[in-house]
Amino acid sequence: MEDTLQFTTEGEKEIFDDVALYALSTCGFCKMSIYFLRTHKIKFRYIYIDQLDMDVKQNVKSGLKEKFNVNVGFPFLVINEKDVLVGYKEEEWKEKFQIK
Amino acid sequence: MVMPEPGKEKTSEDTRTFVEMVAKKNGWHLHPDEMFLNIIIDGLTVNYNRYGYFSCPCRDADGVREKDGDIICPCHYCLPDQKEHGHCYCGLYLTGEFSRSGKKPGSIPERRFSGSE
Repeated sequence: MEDTLQFTTEGEKEIFDDVALYALSTCGFCKMSIYFLRTHKIKFRYIYIDQLDMDVKQNVKSGLKEKFNVNVGFPFLVINEKDVLVGYKEEEWKEKFQIK
Repeated sequence: MVMPEPGKEKTSEDTRTFVEMVAKKNGWHLHPDEMFLNIIIDGLTVNYNRYGYFSCPCRDADGVREKDGDIICPCHYCLPDQKEHGHCYCGLYLTGEFSRSGKKPGSIPERRFSGSE
């Protein structure tokens, strides 16, 4: 499923090997999280899952829930396919990306 | 004021009228940052035109009114979230006290997962 999703990649600083953001195009905190990553020029890939077909979207959500054993809220950030941040709290994200 | 016809596509202006009306009726304040507020208003508008109801812009909807009933704006979790955090889940509606504090809303835990309203 993950392989067939069309992510958009941005940024240049490779702080982590892989930073994947699952977001809603309608959500203010998702937009803030993208703004954060852009502002700090962090290399990341993102996808607006609300713009996917309903059955694909449900598969993505259930896949994330199963893989990371956590309830799926947005923004949903996955680092190196193992660390997860749910929701956007600037201080938490700064700490994760070691930004002072 | 001319209210939009039910079932017709809504504009962002229609949605702004709706959220201002809800806030006024309940004595709530809207998010103070106009750019953030516009994102939420546009998100609600997209969801209305997509699903037929104002599904919360910060939660993923199933697209079926019966399943999404609890997250139709203002959602069932708005009051307990305001009581605990000073604002609702998406940051749209603030209590007067939170608004006057000058703090900015941030992501809060999803009460929907805990099954409590």
